[in-house]
Amino acid sequence: MKRRVRIPRFQKQNIMSNLFKNIVIIFIVLSATAFKAQTENQKIETVKIYGNCGVCESTIEKAGNMKNRSKVDWDIETKMASISYDSLKTSKEEILKRIALVGYDSDTFLAPDDTYSILPSCCQYERAKTVTAKMDESIIAMATNDHSMHSPNGIKMQEVDPLSGVYDSYFEVKDALVQTDGAKASTNAKNLLTAINDVKMDKLSMDVHMVWMKNLETLKKETQAISSTNDVEKQRAHLDRLSKDMYTLLKVAKFEEPIYYQYCPMKDSNWLSKEETIKNPYYGSQMLSCGKTIETIKE
Amino acid sequence: MKKHIKWLAVFLGIFSTPILFGQNVVRYDLTVTDTIVNYSGKEKRAIAVNGQLPMPTLTFTEGDIAEIVVHNKLKESTSLHWHGVFLPNKEDGVPYLTQMPIEPNETFRYRFPIIQSGTHWYHSHSGLQEQIGMYGSLVLLKKKDDPTFRKGIDDLPELPIILSEWTDIKPENVHRMLHNANDWAAIKKGTVQSYSDAIQAGHFKTKLGNEWKRMLAMDVSDVYYDKFLINGKNESHWSHFKAGEKVRLRISNGGASSYFWLNYAGGKMTVIANDGNDVEPVEVDRLIIGVSETYDVVVTIPNENTAYEFLATPEDRTKSTSLYLGKGKIQLKSRMPKLKYFEGMKMMNNMMNMDGSMDDMGMDMSLQKMDMNTVMYPEITGNPKIKMDYQMDHSNHIMNTNQDIVTLNYSMLKAPQPTTLPKDAPVRELRFELTGNMNRYVWSMDNKVLLESDKILIKKGENIRITLYNNSMMRHPMHLHGHDFRVLNGQGEFAPLKNVLDIMPMETDTIEFLANTEGDWFFHCHILYHMMAGMNRVFSYEKQAPNPYLPNKKWAYKKLQAESNQLHVMAENNFATNGNDGMAMLQNTRWSFGTEWRLGFHDEHGYETETHIGRYIGKNQWFMPFVGFDWRYRKQNGEVEKNLFGQSNTKDQRAVLSVGSEYTLPMLVKLQGEVFTDGNIRFQLMREDIPISPRLRWAFMVNTDKEYMTGFKYIVTRNIGITTHYDSDMGIGFGAALNY
Repeated sequence: MKRRVRIPRFQKQNIMSNLFKNIVIIFIVLSATAFKAQTENQKIETVKIYGNCGVCESTIEKAGNMKNRSKVDWDIETKMASISYDSLKTSKEEILKRIALVGYDSDTFLAPDDTYSILPSCCQYERAKTVTAKMDESIIAMATNDHSMHSPNGIKMQEVDPLSGVYDSYFEVKDALVQTDGAKASTNAKNLLTAINDVKMDKLSMDVHMVWMKNLETLKKETQAISSTNDVEKQRAHLDRLSKDMYTLLKVAKFEEPIYYQYCPMKDSNWLSKEETIKNPYYGSQMLSCGKTIETIKE
Repeated sequence: MKKHIKWLAVFLGIFSTPILFGQNVVRYDLTVTDTIVNYSGKEKRAIAVNGQLPMPTLTFTEGDIAEIVVHNKLKESTSLHWHGVFLPNKEDGVPYLTQMPIEPNETFRYRFPIIQSGTHWYHSHSGLQEQIGMYGSLVLLKKKDDPTFRKGIDDLPELPIILSEWTDIKPENVHRMLHNANDWAAIKKGTVQSYSDAIQAGHFKTKLGNEWKRMLAMDVSDVYYDKFLINGKNESHWSHFKAGEKVRLRISNGGASSYFWLNYAGGKMTVIANDGNDVEPVEVDRLIIGVSETYDVVVTIPNENTAYEFLATPEDRTKSTSLYLGKGKIQLKSRMPKLKYFEGMKMMNNMMNMDGSMDDMGMDMSLQKMDMNTVMYPEITGNPKIKMDYQMDHSNHIMNTNQDIVTLNYSMLKAPQPTTLPKDAPVRELRFELTGNMNRYVWSMDNKVLLESDKILIKKGENIRITLYNNSMMRHPMHLHGHDFRVLNGQGEFAPLKNVLDIMPMETDTIEFLANTEGDWFFHCHILYHMMAGMNRVFSYEKQAPNPYLPNKKWAYKKLQAESNQLHVMAENNFATNGNDGMAMLQNTRWSFGTEWRLGFHDEHGYETETHIGRYIGKNQWFMPFVGFDWRYRKQNGEVEKNLFGQSNTKDQRAVLSVGSEYTLPMLVKLQGEVFTDGNIRFQLMREDIPISPRLRWAFMVNTDKEYMTGFKYIVTRNIGITTHYDSDMGIGFGAALNY
């Protein structure tokens, strides 16, 4: 005969709650070891990070923090950051590298110069390195260079070629369009207009004079159109006509240096340049190198 | 007397060569073994040579005799190719073309005189071994009394650098996934370019136009890599260089499929050699090094107490790898900003004809001068987002744009000595169009893969002039074995010598070389997965002497051809609440063997399979005629169904053969027309992978049997997706899809 075992109700509950208890205990033990493991790998270090203000603080911390890996707390006053991280998953160097890449120097990494230079002005902390000084020098050198190039050109303009003022102003208009700078193009076009009006026609040779008279009206009209707007796209629409007139002029009245007649097939438009390297004024930086030289005009 | 002279000659021949030329035999022993590496936190198989990865740097001096003994301790065959080196054909290291594979536990000796100098590299030419470690630097030094020795350049301290990449996915699997247009790599890289991405970027119309022209998401590279490496490490520090010192970096790109941008934090770089050949020094801000190219670059350490970062960034800009030169604080170089993919897509839309060919709009592109990808470079074209982040007083400056960054291109390379070919030699003109098809990852020349082309016969003493036109959507680094070619780049008689030519989409370039070393020479795209897809040719010299390492050349060529036309498996099964459906496919370059099944859980829902064997036609492979077999069983009280054409069919029990064809319509919708042996006709429209969001795909199908299906799939991992779909036969269902 089989003996039926009946478990009383309260006993059943007991088993259940025991089971539950056990699970809870196992869970606690497990999580405790996990927690312990985490604290064992957790490291805290204090390092200096160069910076100035509250914007710096949020940028530094945002770059340094990574979920479950690292936490950065930077102090505006002391410029010291306390970095806590899981040493199994990341390293102090990795965190400082990320911070340097958004513009902030530390004693391990120096931020890239271009990244530093676009920091908000309140964040332009004083850098401890020598490179900045050197950069300033080169900027000065560039600036002086620029000046030295301008003045002799100005003198030449009156002495040699009566049209060189027109050519130079044209190139400035074109260059402004290469840079997609509508305001500058407009100003330069005004200069071009002045240069066109200032041409001493009695100094032009016979054949040049003929071409000049023939194109004068359209030259003025197109230049006017460019100078009257700051909208680059509208300005570009007039550059083709203007360039073609300049080209006809240049074919007869040569310039002292070779000029490149260039073509943009995507716009079916032309322009003139002093350099052989293509810098397309019709698209600006988008398609800067798009186009080709179709003729080199030399003396 | 005559006999004596003969013996004397033999005697002299044996002993005089090494004495007269003072030739020095330099021997390396290389042992190839399996190894385990951990680049990403996971342990994976790789191949080590002498216990290291990359393979050791081998150094020889011009005039040496190289003797390299390979001991293969792998469980598979191997080989070593000496990239860019002039040598007898039998030493070139291409299995089934210049030698038999080096079998497991075999030892093979390569021996050849070093008759040139420069930076080269070496790698396995067997299967995909190059991806998992078999690449190394090979430096050939000039002799001290070489007339071309450049003081101030050739005597600088130098550092050989080999760039590479690592993926945790087995390369065979990477290759298979590429052929199956698996977009897991795009998901990992964040470059799916889904419709939701497009709408966010304000480029919905661009995406629509792109799919209308039957293009998949665009990218500059196809593989997702976990790490990028310089000399096998992601970061390394060489602190023994001092301020003011110049260093020559001998850089080889040993990556299987990655182009790298090279930037330096310490100022401009001076390029002094390319592909092992000297060029007139040229100063640049940055350059891109194509797969398998080499560049020698001189950099200066500008300041004391600072180390400067030399940064190599893969073209897709997902990650980077760095080398720090100098001692002290590390001066970092800013990271290259993310690509503006939709701008690139827009540009591609304009350049792509409806028939899948490219239209250069009359721009005559060549020599990397006009990089159309520039539209995607924020550092050149500006990044509106950066300006918005910092709405400070600087916001109206155009900060990140710089039109004055000098980027190297091929037209800037000039040889220091004339490189003209003999004027009296006959000229042989060849033209190749580089072709490809992204959707099925077929890469070819003149729309023919190696399998479909014979060896190209050339004669010793001929000048070979090759015009290459890239009519595909990817750039290709084309490499010629055993010869350097002149790149006609406008430098006249000083045209630079190279052995790899990177050619961008829509570019046309001309190269020429003197056929001066007999043998069978490989000419191929060096992107490993393009090469394995068949983008190869062989130049074979007429009347060449037999190769002792390869007795049966005809048979071997067949083996070589077959290697780049392997079958790829693809399979998917969706376990859903309303049934079980799936498909399996076996495909190679032209053929497709596919079968689909839908298995209900009871007889009313029925069971059916469709099998198609088809061949892809045309360059873009949009058309595939096929023969098929359909079988189905269902129990539905003999109810008769009528299709749109009024033809009736019970479908309860059916076993028929069929003929039909499939055509890819604009928007990548597949139109299928099929005639069955019972006289029934069926047309069907279907698309399965419409990218709604980065991980969500929408599918639909409708046909003239009045059947339809629509469903969604959320991609969870590389092999698992969650699905829901509604089927006219089986109703609504939810499930999990496994795919391989």
